[in-house]
Amino acid sequence: MFYIPKWSVFVQSTLVILIPILFVWVSRRLRDSIRSVFSLHLDKSKNVKRESSLSEISGTGQYDQDLQMLQESMAHNADVHFREFTIRGTSCRAVVVYVEGLANSNLIDSHLIAPLMREGVPEADREDFEQSSESIQAYLESHLLTVSHLRWGEKLQPFVQGVLNGSSGLLIEGMKGFFLVGMAKGKSRNVEDPISEALLRGPRIGFTERIGENMGLLRMHGKDEGMVMKKYEVGTRVKKELVLIYMKDIANQELINEIDSRIRRMAIDDPMDSGYIEQLIEDSTLSPFQQLQNTERPDRVIGAILEGRAAILLDGTPFALIMPVTFSMLLQSPEDYYERWISGSFVRLLRFSAAFLALWAPSLYISFISYHSGMIPTSLALSIVESRQGLPFPSIIEAFIMELSIEILREAGIRLPKPIGPAMGIVGGLIIGDAAVNAGIVSPFLIIVVAVTAISSFTIPVYSAGITLRILRFTAMIFAGIFGLYGVIMFFLLICSHLVKLRSFGIPYLSPLVPYRFRDWKDYVIRSPLKILKQRPAMLNPRDKDRRTN
Amino acid sequence: MVSTTNKHTDQITTAQAAVLVINYTLGASIMTISRNLLEAARTPDIWISVILSGLICFLAGLFILWLCQRFRGKTLYEFMPEITGKSVAYVIIIIMIVYFITMSAYELRMMTEVTSDFLLEDTPRWSIIMAFMWIALYLNVGGINSMARLNEIVLPITLIFFMVCILSSLNLFDIKQLRPVLGAGITPVLHGIMPALSALTGYEILFILIAFMKTPKQGIRALHAGVWIPTMIILITVILSIGVLGLYATANKTYPTLTLVRSYEYQGLIFERFESLMLVIWIMQMFTSFSIMHYAASLGCSTMFNKKPNSLLFVTLPLIFIVSMVPKTLMETVKLGEMLGVASIILFGGFPPILLLVSVIRKKGMRRK
Repeated sequence: MFYIPKWSVFVQSTLVILIPILFVWVSRRLRDSIRSVFSLHLDKSKNVKRESSLSEISGTGQYDQDLQMLQESMAHNADVHFREFTIRGTSCRAVVVYVEGLANSNLIDSHLIAPLMREGVPEADREDFEQSSESIQAYLESHLLTVSHLRWGEKLQPFVQGVLNGSSGLLIEGMKGFFLVGMAKGKSRNVEDPISEALLRGPRIGFTERIGENMGLLRMHGKDEGMVMKKYEVGTRVKKELVLIYMKDIANQELINEIDSRIRRMAIDDPMDSGYIEQLIEDSTLSPFQQLQNTERPDRVIGAILEGRAAILLDGTPFALIMPVTFSMLLQSPEDYYERWISGSFVRLLRFSAAFLALWAPSLYISFISYHSGMIPTSLALSIVESRQGLPFPSIIEAFIMELSIEILREAGIRLPKPIGPAMGIVGGLIIGDAAVNAGIVSPFLIIVVAVTAISSFTIPVYSAGITLRILRFTAMIFAGIFGLYGVIMFFLLICSHLVKLRSFGIPYLSPLVPYRFRDWKDYVIRSPLKILKQRPAMLNPRDKDRRTN
Repeated sequence: MVSTTNKHTDQITTAQAAVLVINYTLGASIMTISRNLLEAARTPDIWISVILSGLICFLAGLFILWLCQRFRGKTLYEFMPEITGKSVAYVIIIIMIVYFITMSAYELRMMTEVTSDFLLEDTPRWSIIMAFMWIALYLNVGGINSMARLNEIVLPITLIFFMVCILSSLNLFDIKQLRPVLGAGITPVLHGIMPALSALTGYEILFILIAFMKTPKQGIRALHAGVWIPTMIILITVILSIGVLGLYATANKTYPTLTLVRSYEYQGLIFERFESLMLVIWIMQMFTSFSIMHYAASLGCSTMFNKKPNSLLFVTLPLIFIVSMVPKTLMETVKLGEMLGVASIILFGGFPPILLLVSVIRKKGMRRK
């Protein structure tokens, strides 16, 4: 009887089990609701086809009827124009349908209208020409339409979609279908230095918003017939082109199959940016860590697919996605490989320690000040205590104020117009910091900590990884505020417990750190000389393991 | 009994098995080991007891290996009924589950004691314990593979920190404290074996791990690493404690290892007073031990009741919590640790040879080729 614990222990022990069960229940509900709302598994019963009057209609061969049909389906758009004319040498009427501002007007003028109206069909060929719908089609294709990109179809819906996408439509009397000529010209910008991932050394090329150009940039990189670019059409309402890129003889087939099936299962009306794709095909929605990497740099994509990873390009965005992602990738930069290995390794080491600081510095400050001032050297402890004399807040509040204000400053800096951005940075950083110290709200020592943290977090080469780190930093500060160093260690274990469970497309997120793969460690924190890096990373299980074989 | 875990997808490498054994062995007891040894035998020769008990552990581990190799891909809980029949097996398995639960409760309690002594004087203990248990639960739900990976992250950090902290006291080391060797004869050395064994038992987790290994044949490597590395570390700790602090001081300190780290001081570093820092790092080590024990206990329950291991992970949690609150004082906790050592020697040192013999006689399991 002496050893039976007090009743409070039993109450606590029920808490020990009840709270995790509650937590599991909530997270399961959350996960289920995410799945059912925005699903990878398309809900069959809800999959009602959009009502479209166009889908089943095809050309009749009667010019007036077809033209009326086209006008009914498109003419209410202000930017759609119909240009009617007669083909020279025949009595055939024809109409060119195009969208202003999107269709290539040079092409329409000189390769559609000009040959048809000026040259037309010579006397000798007239009979052949007018025989049937097929003969008209064949004659036009072989004699008159001087363009490379030509499609023919009988259905109305693809025609309308094509015209609205920027191709020029051509309808000819007597022909039982439609021509789609050329491709959208639209506006595109020049190839520029990638803004979000600028490097000092290496190619100064970034992707643009046009998927054709982006594929071209990758092809331009070098000759390799092994590079596969597999095309998908995504988006249930707004159709967009998506291209999966990998090396046929390097990438593991299971990985490609997995990515392929996830892309196929994806369902959304319009994937506006590759960020949509990322969120729809990632493994864990509740994890703070990104499981696909986004990049503007073609060289990063090439490097990744040469390691046996795969990449996704989406039309309309300069951001490509790389998968699978491992933790180490977030702290590596292509520059590490362009520089010699000693400098590359040094910079990488620097970046790893900077990431460590960015994550833990404020929480360590809080725990040393509030809980374990005995652990720092006495003279330092004394000077900190002196500087903190008269401060109204405990260190956790103090650190939160400063960290939050620097995050707000950073966020404001992105939105600000370029000319006043730097001025705002000076006002915010210097003046507010100085004023806060003078006003006795925060200690000068904390200003150092916050500044070091902020600068360290800028060294992370992947922007979205930086955001993750910031979120975790604030959580770490809360843990440190409650439990001191013990809390910091517990939070470290919590992050590690999460990371060891996390997978990106079947690859453990923390590999090659764990499970130990000593061979892959040659390119982890240290970047070994290229002469030593003969093998591709074994964690991706590539088909061709040796980098030297041709 | 049906296998309740998927051992095909959730496999561990040999290195991971070795790391798990090391992490399981090295837990809270390293903080008090020198004092426990000296209480049993007041002689500087106790380091010989550590080596001897390392040998004994290795031998006991060998028997477990042999036994496991007769039953490929099965944990102790699964093949026990085949050897002894169900009724006897249930009794033994329940004892083992109780052992693992008590063991993890002991680990938990020791962690709480040192934490609230050195790091968080005013924080209520239950909150310290709960944070610890929940994170361990979160980890263990991921299965043995994620546990193994976490152990792989933690072990290098803790070992390097611990060795640096311990070895920094080398310039205070006085070899005279360890002399004369065998001055009191061999008897006190033998007395010291019992507490040394209780700190070194960890080979028993092989009963479970071998079943999860990709290449069970390499179990012997995991055993070698899992016995000799902890033996070396405890040996260094004991020798340095006695060599630096002396016999008397070591025997009278609550946590001689922490006192050892406190004994030296280096100026001009970022940190002073390394004992708290080392303790903080060592909490991770206790965390991994605890999570393995918790997992072992839950796995036993899940095999017995034929349920999924994840739900049993939740059920064992409050049991461990209550048991960890049973000892009233630190001294009782340490006593509990010693009792657990004895239980472990009987359960996992004495039983396996008998089980092996029975299985050979009853012709159960595979023959060794």
